[in-house]
This record gives sequence, structure tokens and C-alpha cells, in this order.
Amino acid sequence: MNRTDVIVAGAGMAGLLAALAAARNGRTVKLITEGVGSLAISGGCIDLLGYVGGKAVEHPWQALDSLEAGHPYRILGRDRVHAALAAFEELTAAAGYPYTAPADGRNRRIPTIMGTLKPSWLCSPAGHAEALASARRVLVLGVEGFKDCHPAVVVRQLKRYPEMAGKEFTSAMIRLPERQRRRTLSPLDVARFLDTDAGRAWMERELTPHGGRYDVVLLPPICGTHADDGARQVLSRALACPVLEMLSIPPGVGGLRLREMLCGELARLGVTLVENATVSRAEVTNGRCTALVTTAPDAERRHEATEFILATGGVLGGGIATEPGRARERICAIPIEMPEDPEQWSTPELFAQHAITSMGVRVDAQLRPVGPDGAVLLRNVRFAGRTLGGYDFGLEKSGFGVAIATGWTAGSLA
Amino acid sequence: MKETTVVIIGGGATGAGILRDLSMRGVRAILLEQGGLAHGTSSRFHGLLHSGGRYAVGDNEAARECIEENTILRRVGRECVEETEGFFVLTPQDDPAYVDGWVEACDRAGIRAEQVDVAEARRLEPNLAPDILAVYRVPDACVDGFRLVWHNACSARRYGGELLTYHRVTGIEQQGGRIRGVTARNMISGEDVRIACDVVINAAGSWAGQVAQLAGLDVRVSPDRGTLIAFNHRFTSRVINRLHKSSDGDIFVPHGSITILGTTSSATDRPDSTTPTSAEVLRLLELGRPLFPHIGSYRILRAFAGTRPLYDAGGAGGRSASRGFHIVDHEEEGLAGMASIFGGKLTTYRLMAEKLCDHVCARLGVSAPCRTAEEPMLEPAPAGLLKRAAGLFPMQGAELAAHRLGASFGKVVEMMEEDRERQIICECEMVSRAEIEFVAGDPATHSLHDVRLRTRMGMGTCQGTFCSLRAIGALEECAAHLALSPTEDVRQFAQERWKGLRPALWGTQAREVMLSRAVYAATMNLDGAIHEQD
Repeated sequence: MNRTDVIVAGAGMAGLLAALAAARNGRTVKLITEGVGSLAISGGCIDLLGYVGGKAVEHPWQALDSLEAGHPYRILGRDRVHAALAAFEELTAAAGYPYTAPADGRNRRIPTIMGTLKPSWLCSPAGHAEALASARRVLVLGVEGFKDCHPAVVVRQLKRYPEMAGKEFTSAMIRLPERQRRRTLSPLDVARFLDTDAGRAWMERELTPHGGRYDVVLLPPICGTHADDGARQVLSRALACPVLEMLSIPPGVGGLRLREMLCGELARLGVTLVENATVSRAEVTNGRCTALVTTAPDAERRHEATEFILATGGVLGGGIATEPGRARERICAIPIEMPEDPEQWSTPELFAQHAITSMGVRVDAQLRPVGPDGAVLLRNVRFAGRTLGGYDFGLEKSGFGVAIATGWTAGSLA
Repeated sequence: MKETTVVIIGGGATGAGILRDLSMRGVRAILLEQGGLAHGTSSRFHGLLHSGGRYAVGDNEAARECIEENTILRRVGRECVEETEGFFVLTPQDDPAYVDGWVEACDRAGIRAEQVDVAEARRLEPNLAPDILAVYRVPDACVDGFRLVWHNACSARRYGGELLTYHRVTGIEQQGGRIRGVTARNMISGEDVRIACDVVINAAGSWAGQVAQLAGLDVRVSPDRGTLIAFNHRFTSRVINRLHKSSDGDIFVPHGSITILGTTSSATDRPDSTTPTSAEVLRLLELGRPLFPHIGSYRILRAFAGTRPLYDAGGAGGRSASRGFHIVDHEEEGLAGMASIFGGKLTTYRLMAEKLCDHVCARLGVSAPCRTAEEPMLEPAPAGLLKRAAGLFPMQGAELAAHRLGASFGKVVEMMEEDRERQIICECEMVSRAEIEFVAGDPATHSLHDVRLRTRMGMGTCQGTFCSLRAIGALEECAAHLALSPTEDVRQFAQERWKGLRPALWGTQAREVMLSRAVYAATMNLDGAIHEQD
């Protein structure tokens, strides 16, 4: 049996990046995953830092230092965060689906299907919101039969932003060919149709009448499921202007594209993928992990390695288990300090800070878990992504930024 | 200024029942409700249509009323009732000596209580604890409180009754010891309205004390707070009661795809004390364990609390206070034309309305008899419509919608037959876009919250994470006139769900709430948008 140097648990953004970083360092890597991971429910844009303490951040790199000391960005330090994001840009460019940062160093403001704007940082061309910022004539296009995206609400909502003053908004609907219509129609269905030549030809015909009349066109995320930007470019040519995709609710078409690309990279680098396996526990001897144990429907299996990276998510991903008044990291059973009274885990307003939304494993600068006294608990285990405490990706808009920074760093150190 | 004969204050089951009863007798009436219909206790209970078994020992008269009304409602409110039957279950923690007296008391009240072999009971309800000792079958049923109130209101409207929701009463006008009218504030527009009338009926439930104060009257209503838990699964097909002296956390009621466990009982001085606490949730879980040992692993959808309007006639509070009802004509206190109805319970709301309307009609010289026990509330959907609808809805969606909508179902089916209205916006409760648009067109609908109460949209597994965003877009497209901006409407909707999950923020429900927050905050940036949009 081949020796494994590094085992990564979790195939969300942090786990994928950890596996990639380790594999590119020449390590033999095994990636164990329970499900499809966070990318499948995401829009695929990489948020870096949108808000600090409820205040909007214009220049995220400048705001990094204003974060509290326990924040993962502060634990890593700006240089390592920067290096990780740069590596991600390089990697996506090399794979033919480049993610780039905004040229002016300011957060992009990406439109959503709710007609809100979400600050984000690295984006594929479908998220280059600069085109919206500089446009005067904006077309918001919907697809008849979509229940997730309604251009009328997008227009009405966008107009409520002072920064949208002076723009002319138009909304329009396109109609799918009879054969493609069905009761439940999501952007993913149309994106799959646009993977085909027939789909692209139809879309071109539908869009050509709108061609040349707008400075930018906003669409639900329907421009294909593959990480090649091909469908979007066809539409952009037909419309003779940039085409942007609005962020939408799951399924996350943009995230699935990115996932396809990253998984392709893992395969190219020879990473072993173990799917549909739940890591149930870690075997530990003398402060070192020797193996992870997975349970699959048929049997338990031991997976040995010298280094381990756990990127199994937080409460949502299943990396942190909770019961009334108690929380612990699930695989290594590391206790997470939380108030005994569950009432203290949260505050009355949903969109406020809560103990539960920023709790997680405490780590040292090497991302190894530490106890309350700061002593390293496991010398060859690193944590990445939302299993870490000290940040609230919902309020900060920092989810994939932290996942890439910590995942890439953990993989590089392993 | 408006003018009518009777103004009813309170849009719960009692108020809506009174509006229907009076309207059917030809008495002009307007109902005022401070929130949406069923804003108070009528939507904040376990949804048990009592057989009366629970009251048989303690209050045999109340038990008899229950079984009579239970039988009537199965007939006139067929679409609001699920005829599940109920079990009374003796656990090792209950006193076996209680059983014989209970069986005798049920018999005396006219409630059929029939012993079921324990093995057979566990075959029918496999999640029940293996160590239960005895099981009795009673004619309990489940009732949808929202729907019951709405169907009363819809029936009343057909007879000319008028409904003003989101109208809070600000004053009760009197002159020379007689009622002259009522003033109210439209809580949406801020406008004040005045309604001249001869009679005012105070059916404000837990708020009845406050309403009486507006008329300068002193009545003692002691709100009694009860907390309940809604679970994500229908882990019982029947109503399950503990066979013991009525206590906390001893009733499980299945509703559609969920199960409700109730309740606690504690005195409060505020009728709007509806925020549940973690301590209450943990206590209910503990109390429910003797019946369902795995209750701790079931996912909680939400916890909620309501206040029972117990009438404090002699100072007895909580569980020992009367579940019976009291009608007070305030003429005895020098105010002619005002009557209050206190106490009671949802199962007997119709009887309460009948008795009160009998009294008011006698005063008004109206001789028309009460017909609410004979005529069904909903005009049945025309024959053949269900068949026509079957191809438009998924699975049993057509029947669900028909029961919600009655005769209006035809309009929704027509909308769905135009291709674009066919989408199912809420997949958990199978609510179509057509139904949401139809309900949005009702003048009593002002927000997603109102749509939720009418249709059950957002009440299921996803708790609105997906459907609230979809619904707001659909409503915007059909130009529904909602009171709030889309961002604020969805925020309030999400906030309401958060209030219900906060007290149970652990386990699988914590995962679900984190998904909601990820969608609303991390993807949609609703939290940021609220501050950035005009």
C-alpha cells in the first residue's frame, strides 16, 4: 500500500486548498470527504473582508489589521493571507478560469438575486462588478419560470442604493424553449442547457434583440456549469456588453464550476479522493494523531498518515458538534469553550454577533489546536476553514477568504 | 368615519367566530385586530381539538362541552381538522390509581375511551416508549388554528362581515352610560379611524384586560404563559396524552409533517410574553421523554410561546384556573352596549361565540337563531375541480391547497392553468406561486408574515430560507402592495424564525439555522443592505 504523507478531511474550500497546497509541495495526499462541501451551495466568489464591526470595508487589505487578535487573518498574518490568495489567483489562471482581484484595491459590490449588493474580492469574469459600477444602462434579465430570480425585485431593490443613482434600469424576461420548461426550474437547469450547443444557440437568438442597447447585463447564474467561461462569452458577444451573474441561493452554480476546476487539479496532482466517508474519530498517541477512522455504510476503516488537516466545517458543515450548553470539535473531541446556559449562545437579533457564530477551535500560528493555556494539543494536526473560531463569515463576508488562507497555509505547512 | 352595529375587538378564534355568527344572523359587524388574524393565542397553542379527556376528571362540564364542539367542528370545519384520534398513555411514572376514575369520568362526559392493547398501540405508534403500561383511545383530533380563524373570517365576509386587521383600538367612546363608537389606529398607515356603533364586544383574549381598561372598566384577566416545541418530523400519527392529572409537557400533536409538544404553564403579567427560553425548551424535552425516549435527537423546527387568557374570577391561577368561559355584560357596571368574553379554550370557541351572540342579539332584539353549528364554514370546492387541479400540483398539493382555500381554490387553479403560475414556491408545504399571489391580493395581507399565516409558506423544514426569497420576488412581480421593502420584509421574516430557534440552538436545528444565516447574510448580504439601501 502506498504511504500517505498528508490526510485532509473535508472537501469544502479549505479542504480542497489544503490538499492542493500539500500535493504541490510533493506530498502524497489523501482527501476524505463526506459530501460535496461548501462550494456546492456557494456563488463561487471569494469574499475577503466586507465588514468589520458592522462597518462596510472599502479596502479590505487595509482593514485586516483592525480585526481582533484571535481572527484567523491575524493569526496567519497579512503575508500568509496574501500569499494564499495570490496562489489561488495563479492556480485558477493556469487552469483557464482566472479569478482576479479588483484593480483598484476596493471590494467589488456584486449584485444578488435579491437586488442587494454583496462585497467580494476575487471573482471569475462573471463577477467583475466593476462593469455594473461604471454602467449607465443596465438590463436585468430573468428566465420565465424561474422561482429564484425575479428581475422586477432586483431593479426595485438596486435603485434603493445611492451608488446606483443615475443609472437606467430595464428588466426583461426570456423564455426557454418548450422542451426545457418544467415546474421546478433552477439556474442549474438552465446552466446545464447552456453547456450544450443547442442551448447556446437558443440563448444567442433570445438575446440578440437586446444587443448593443445596454452597458451591462445582469443574469441569474446560468452561464454553464463548466469552469471555462465559454457560455458567458457567447452571451456577452450577443449582447455586445459585459454579462454579470447575480449571486443566488443554492444550488450554487458558480461554486460548482470552481469545484469542478479544483477537483480537476487534485486529480492531475494525483490526490487520492475518498468520497462518502464520514471521519468519526482520530487515533492519538503521545500528542500525535496516527490515523483517522472513517465509517462508511459497509465498514470502519483506518487511514494512517504523518500529517493531518481537518477542514470539516463549523456547526453547518458538521465539524463542530453541539448539545445544550456544550460544543466540541467532532473528530478530535476538542472542547470549545461556550457558556453553559444555551441562552447565552446567541443574542436576540439574527444579524448581530453571537457566541455560536464565531466559536471554534483555537489554534497557534501553525494552525495546530491549542488548549486554554495556549499549549499545543496535537502536534501533527492542523485546522482550516470554519472549524476555526474567532470570525463570523456571515457578518464579515470573509468565508472563502479565510478558507483559502487557512487551507492553503495548512497544506503548505503539512 | 365608518358606522356599524357591532364592533368586535380581537381577531382570534373567538372574535372571528363571533363575527361569523353575527354576520350569519344578519347583524352588521366589524372586527378589529391589532395584528394579523390569529396573531395572539389562537396561533400559539398545540393545535389539539380536545376530545375532553384531558378535563374529564378536573372539570367534567368543560369535558362535555369539548366532546360536543369537537363533534360539531369535524363537520362544519372539516378542512381545518385532521381526524387522527388520540391515545392516553400510562407510563411507569404515572399513578395507576388514576386510571379507573378517569375512565369513569370520560364515560360521564360522553367521551368514548376504549382500552387498546399495549402491543397493538406500539405497533400503531412505534416511537412510543417500550415500557408504557396502558393505552386508551379517545376521539381527539388536530386543528389548524390559523386556518380555523381564517375560514371563520371568510365565511363571515360572505355574509357581509368586515375585517380590519392591523388596527389597534385606541379608545372606546361612551356617552351617558352607552357605547357610541370605537377609535382605532391603522398600524400600517398610521391613520386613525373612528367607527360609530351600538355594541362593543371585547374578545381580545389575553389582551381583554387592557381593552376593558380603555372603557374604564376593571376586569381581571391573568395571562398564563405556555411554551411549545414544533419538531421537524411527524413521529406520531395520533395525538398522544399522558394519562395522569393534567400537567406540563404531556401532549404531543401531529400536524402535517411536523409534531408539536406542549405546554408549560407559568403566570405572566404581559399578554405579549411570547419569547420562549432555553430553560423551557429543555424542560419540555425532559417531560416528553417518558412517552418518546428518543425525543432529544429529533430536530426542533422552532419553539414558540403563547398566553392563555385565564379569567381570574377568584384568584385561582395556572392549571387550576377554569378553562371554562365567562360572559360579562358591562351594563351592570354602568356601561350599556359593552360585553366581554373571558377565558375558554380553542376547542369551544364556537360555543363561546354562540352564547355571546345569543346574549347580544337578545339585547338588539334580533331573533335569528345561531346557525354556526349547522352550516360548514367553507363553500366546498366545485366537483371536478380537484381532478382538474391534480395535474397542476405535485402529489397531494392539490388537496392541501383546496383545504386551505375552499371555493377560492378555483381561482388559484385557473391561475395555475396559465403556465407561468405553476411553480411551487414553498416546497415543504407545497404552496404554489398562484396561491401566494392570490393571498397577496387580499387587503388583509401586508407582509410575507401574513402570507405565511394564510398559506403555511415557510412553516416547514427550510423555515423560509429558500421560499421567503422566492416569494418576495414573485410578489414584487405581480405588484402586490406590501407595507415593507423587500429587504426589510425578508429580514423580519428571518428574524421571526430566529426568535423561534434561538432557545434551541444546538444539534441539528443549529445546523439548519446556520444555513439560513449563511444564505441571508453571507450570500445575500441582507444585513449590510438594510443599512445601505434608502
